[in-house]
Amino acid sequence: MAAHEILAATNAVVTLDVALPGIVWPWLVTVNMWAKSIGTGVIFMLFLLLRMHPESGNKLKLHTAAAAFIFINIFLLFTLADLHQPFRMWHIFLYPHFTSAIAVGSFMASAFLGLLTLLVFLAWKKNDAAFDKVFLWTTILAIPVTLYTAALMSQCTARELWQMPAESAQMMLAALVAGSAFMILLGGNKLDYEAKKMLGTVLGLSALMAFIIYMSEYVFGPMKAEEIAFTLEYIKGDGPYTVMFWLGQWMTYLLPMLLIVLSRSAKSESLLKLAAILALVGLFMVKHVWLMIPQLLPMS
Amino acid sequence: MQLGFLVDLHLCMGCKGCEIACKVENEVPLSTWRLRVKYVDVGTFPETKRTFTPLRCNHCENAPCERICPVSALHYLDNGIVNIDKERCIGCAGCVMACPYGAIYIDPQTQTADKCTYCAHRVASSMMPACVVACPVQANIFGDLDDPKSNISTYIMKNQGGVQVRKPEKGTNPHHYYVGGGNVSLNPLASHRIDGHSLFNKITTLPVGGHH
Repeated sequence: MAAHEILAATNAVVTLDVALPGIVWPWLVTVNMWAKSIGTGVIFMLFLLLRMHPESGNKLKLHTAAAAFIFINIFLLFTLADLHQPFRMWHIFLYPHFTSAIAVGSFMASAFLGLLTLLVFLAWKKNDAAFDKVFLWTTILAIPVTLYTAALMSQCTARELWQMPAESAQMMLAALVAGSAFMILLGGNKLDYEAKKMLGTVLGLSALMAFIIYMSEYVFGPMKAEEIAFTLEYIKGDGPYTVMFWLGQWMTYLLPMLLIVLSRSAKSESLLKLAAILALVGLFMVKHVWLMIPQLLPMS
Repeated sequence: MQLGFLVDLHLCMGCKGCEIACKVENEVPLSTWRLRVKYVDVGTFPETKRTFTPLRCNHCENAPCERICPVSALHYLDNGIVNIDKERCIGCAGCVMACPYGAIYIDPQTQTADKCTYCAHRVASSMMPACVVACPVQANIFGDLDDPKSNISTYIMKNQGGVQVRKPEKGTNPHHYYVGGGNVSLNPLASHRIDGHSLFNKITTLPVGGHH
């Protein structure tokens, strides 16, 4: 890996140093982000369906609440698994430090899980009036729950690549991509074609926006900071994450966009489902690459 | 009181006495370091030179590790030291990710974050940090930055133009200074780091905290 600031005349080489730390936040954190995108994303999609296609949305209240409940639990489980002292998790609630996005996020995610549990119960009891009241607050809370990971990444001063404006947009778009894709698969016969078409539109437009942001960072990021240029070398040329990065971009964004256009012209639900599956699998890769590459930057 | 550190790189000869003294004083486990001395070779034979740079926690005024810690395990002491409470740490490694100086590690024995505390326990007993005592050439200068008569303040005043901190663009306001440093010694991206090769070992990376 070429270091950018090395002057040829200095020929500077590190000849003795401690070993660099390996990956600090491993794949467990990728699962965390991926599962949270689905968990909050399906809530956003149900909110949209209940307003634009209420007949379809009403049929999916219990399924959606249950799916969100499961994926938020996966998110929390993997968050816990990533801690080196998981049995001290309760310290966050006993000694919270509210300048930390981790502390704020823990409280919000816990409240969100509480609301989801209530939603599952209300949907199971078919209490629509109470469900709708609780659901509005759940949807509102889903926004900061989606965004707090971006704040956490931005608090990592050492990782220049993660900037709050871009990361918060990417977190929200990931939730829209994952939510719409998961809803297309979850809906099955309960969703009419128009509702599926709307979800496909959300998926396609979110994919387009996310792809534009990634490409902007890919092209223009290195012009802003040396550390970003160095970090992005890991996904350029023969970098260790180049293949995974482009595979992720194609699977999550480019192919789903193409398949959604084709599904609309051919009125094919199978193509829409294929786009949804590709987007969900690809999103894991996209998130993983973006999580890993700043951690390869030498700090010593 | 605002305690700070200054290393005069003109004086440092890379003996690693500070590194060992720190290890012993703080019982730092194998494979981890609170303080390490980096060697960078510069030039092409026969015009070559070796630089030595002791690296430790910078005890920043605006410390990213303190800000990101969800349980205040990392906290400021009244004397400006950024201290750590290992009993409170949950091992989220947020501080490891936030520190732009790579100064924090996960202790493989306790599975909690750890770092240089400027030997806060010794300072509390009016003793100097172990690395200062061990340095044979007094390259490590420690003292109160708020006291204009302290060793560190007078040293900074004498070398005003040559005093540097690492990565000032991060806005962390480190309380750890270098005299006689250059881009090669202070910027990690200014030198080649050849995989699997250093003077005494072939280890490039180590797993964090001994797992994952």
